[in-house]
Amino acid sequence: MKRQRENAIVFADPECCLGCHGCEMACAVAHSGTGLHQAALAGLTLRPRNRVVAAGGVMMPVQCRQCEDAPCAAACPTGAMLQESGQVGVREKNCVGCKVCVMVCPFGAISVKHEGTDPENCRTNGGIARKCDLCAGTGRDVPACVEACPTKALTLVDLEEYRQTLIEARAAELAQSLQHLKSRKARI
Amino acid sequence: MTMKLSTDPSAATLLPIAKKEGISTVWDRHRAMQPQCGFGQLGVCCRICWKGPCRIDPFGDGPQRGICGADADTIVARNVIRMIAAGAAGHSEHGRHVALALQGVAEGRLPAYQIRDEVKLRAVAAKLDICTEGQDIPAIAAAVAKATLEDFQNQDHDAPCNWIEATLTKKRLERLQALHVLPHNIDAVITQIMGRTLVGCDADPVNLILGGIKGALADFDGMCLAIELSDALFGTPSPVITAANLGVIKPDAVNIAVHGHNPLLSEVVCEVAGQMDEEARKAGAKDGINIVGICCTGNEVMVRHGIPLAANYLSQELALVTGAVDAMVVDVQCIMPSVSEIGACFHTAVITTMAENKIPGATHVDFKEETALENARRIVATAIEAYKRRDPRRVNIPDFKQTAIVGFGVESVVGALATLNAEDPLQPLIENIANGNIRGIALFAGCNSTQVAQDSSFVTMAKKLAANNVLMLATGCGAGSFAKHGLMTQEATLEYAGDSLKAVMTAIGTSAGLNGPLPLVLHMGSCVDNSRAVQVAVAVADKLGVDLDQLPLVASAPEAMSEKAVAIGTWSVALGIPTHLGTMPQVTGSAKVTELLTQTAKDLLGGYFLVELDPNLAADKLLEVIEERRKGLGI
Repeated sequence: MKRQRENAIVFADPECCLGCHGCEMACAVAHSGTGLHQAALAGLTLRPRNRVVAAGGVMMPVQCRQCEDAPCAAACPTGAMLQESGQVGVREKNCVGCKVCVMVCPFGAISVKHEGTDPENCRTNGGIARKCDLCAGTGRDVPACVEACPTKALTLVDLEEYRQTLIEARAAELAQSLQHLKSRKARI
Repeated sequence: MTMKLSTDPSAATLLPIAKKEGISTVWDRHRAMQPQCGFGQLGVCCRICWKGPCRIDPFGDGPQRGICGADADTIVARNVIRMIAAGAAGHSEHGRHVALALQGVAEGRLPAYQIRDEVKLRAVAAKLDICTEGQDIPAIAAAVAKATLEDFQNQDHDAPCNWIEATLTKKRLERLQALHVLPHNIDAVITQIMGRTLVGCDADPVNLILGGIKGALADFDGMCLAIELSDALFGTPSPVITAANLGVIKPDAVNIAVHGHNPLLSEVVCEVAGQMDEEARKAGAKDGINIVGICCTGNEVMVRHGIPLAANYLSQELALVTGAVDAMVVDVQCIMPSVSEIGACFHTAVITTMAENKIPGATHVDFKEETALENARRIVATAIEAYKRRDPRRVNIPDFKQTAIVGFGVESVVGALATLNAEDPLQPLIENIANGNIRGIALFAGCNSTQVAQDSSFVTMAKKLAANNVLMLATGCGAGSFAKHGLMTQEATLEYAGDSLKAVMTAIGTSAGLNGPLPLVLHMGSCVDNSRAVQVAVAVADKLGVDLDQLPLVASAPEAMSEKAVAIGTWSVALGIPTHLGTMPQVTGSAKVTELLTQTAKDLLGGYFLVELDPNLAADKLLEVIEERRKGLGI
């Protein structure tokens, strides 16, 4: 049986975020299939899949949490949203842009606006569900937002590694306490 | 890996040493800065008021206007013309400085300086329509200085600056006048740019860019006066054989690197160094004092005195890493603030000299024209003292230097041509352009940038244009690139020039007594010397009765970075010259501004920006432009 892992997530540290929106721009360009200047000159409409927000006295980008029991996947009437390759994926050809996922997402991390050049007099306005896909398919090792953040406020977190680090750190503390207890016992 | 950063062989030798010593260079800092901010790259970030910073989402989803209501077009236009204003300010401060020095010499107040080229001074006076009959040299100098300083003082908006009026073709002046972009006063035009870009002022991108063009033409005016008066004070460049690259630093000499832009400092340092050579020998330096140049100060002293060039912009830090530079003396522009820190890793004294250009950690010697000799003596003495502290075990001078024949001012180009036709020197040049032996002329200018492997675009483009029989001129760090890579030699002409260009260069060179062809690329001087190339073009245009935008003439700044390059590029366009940029200008966030600069400019001015990052394609495109222009002239 395939070993199960939690989906990786992009984690934002609000203490480091300066609100520069660099992550948004990097995200938009990474998914455009072209470069920054080329996209700007071609007048492409591009949308980031993350949003920098300021609320509750902190500032940070918010993006898809890659939920394990994703409400969007549960609600999607066409089966376009599903768990695949360590994330909540969107099968774009199945998506009809019904926005149910937008309404059920607790994080506001999904939009269905179209991208590219403005459609006119078409059957579809091109809107389909878009959300953070951890830059899968853009050919990079870490997501563009993580790469772009000038203050390193963003990290790609592999939960297994993260948990392992925590467990080891706490175990090391316990080991130290035990040793202390032992030597105390010996003295008594 | 080093090859991607720089194609200068010295870098390959010295970067590993810097790494081992824990010294970070411009390339390390470039890497640490990646990826760079997209809003800044597109020019859509506005920081001109404290409601901001604002940035426009170039992709249509986020804010389309700043808090004040300015859109991307307004913001991009404001940002770019402020860069032009800064560039023009730099050049014209240099010009003002030289003009005031000329005035001081005329009044007998500056013993360190004299009029070294009286012929040039008289020629300048004639150009400015100053009557010199019966006047002695100080009186002529005073009149020239006065007319020049008027370009900073005139308050009549309808009267263009004296220098620009004396320098361009009549047709060009009329065309610029019709667009209301002829500057009347350099300072006023720069101030006007700052004023109109203040929050809540000019918001029309077209009007803003026209204001920027006026600023760029003020930059041109400042450059013209700076170089012509420098020639009168320090001599007009003539061809001289010298060398370039870090191999010009000598292990057994007190090495003084002069770095920056203004000849007022470096000329006196050179002179005083000659007088203090014996002191250096007494201190143990058996080769005495060795002056080497960096950046445009390097170009200034190179074309006037044949002083070898150690480095252009990106390798200024590497000069220090050799461990053999005893003093780096700097004035203004293009001096990396990191030099004082790197100097401190060695025994090197980094000496700043201008009251308004200091660097933390450097030694400051307040350089004044009135006390120039005394100041220069202190600078040279500091270098000799530093030499005594040099650690020979840390000396690593790369064994790279190339011969370079440099110093082709207008006078020497015309002089060389006059050996073929004394009565009508321009005739041989025009004839060879008309019959196609020379397809066209390209002026290479501008900086180095970490966006391009150092010098690579210059060299790639030059070889391709040469093979296609294009005559090339170069200034600034571009000229430094060519000199370091051996393209300012007669051998380069024989190796890379197309057959017909080779024949023409050989005919001129041989007749001018060079025993062979002219060098492949003609070194015209520092970046402020770009106006020298315009003078040649104006002379040709006047003779043919055409305007500059009809000539098969192109300009290229393949590794541009400075605000000065933005100003120079813009006046080049305004003068009718198709101008290539090999680095991406920070304007692409506005389709309107991009269109204005790359297309609309063609209708308004004849010149336009051509952006192409690939040097091979850029050369092809320039060749196409040249052929298009030839067709227009029916040749």
